[in-house]
Amino acid sequence: MKEYTLLSLASVLVAICADKIFKTDILKQRMFYLFLAVILLFKLMVNGYLTGQDIVVYNPAYFLGVRLGSIPVEDFLFGFSMVTLTIIFWEYFKRRDK
Amino acid sequence: MALLIISGVLPFILSFWPPLKFYRHWRALILSILLIIVIFGGWDIFAAWRGHWKFDPAGVGRLRLINLPLEEVLFFVVIPFCCIFTWEVLGHLKRKR
Repeated sequence: MKEYTLLSLASVLVAICADKIFKTDILKQRMFYLFLAVILLFKLMVNGYLTGQDIVVYNPAYFLGVRLGSIPVEDFLFGFSMVTLTIIFWEYFKRRDK
Repeated sequence: MALLIISGVLPFILSFWPPLKFYRHWRALILSILLIIVIFGGWDIFAAWRGHWKFDPAGVGRLRLINLPLEEVLFFVVIPFCCIFTWEVLGHLKRKR
């Protein structure tokens, strides 16, 4: 089973729901998409290097095998969830701090 | 390891830049990063254990935390930090306009 594919899709759903649950609404902000573009630029360099040099090696049984350059598409979903949840938590705790 | 230092060092130094007032929210910063470590570190431990991916021993150091290279654990500290830094810089630039 394509476990990495399923997990990464699930994580995107979790991130989208968390934005609603924590009422941070960052997905509605235009600035967030500018932020994603900046992060994506750096991600392509770092993730591209790590996968291109085979420092991280993926088991073909668990992902689709579709890559953008050397990066599996699932990595983009993993990355999206991680950076989105980071900003959700940050905005949530920052608001609570005040 | 070198890659982590390259990624993190500039945002770390610049985060002391006064207009960002980063230090005011150190508690939020630590809590956010901790949650990311738990969630995505947990995922990573599971994935490495299941064999979704593995790390080339030649590409990372010898230190391990559970089944993850030290670099992979630090990744979950450095990347959220860089993300929050980028987010705050963009917010600052937007307010200034």
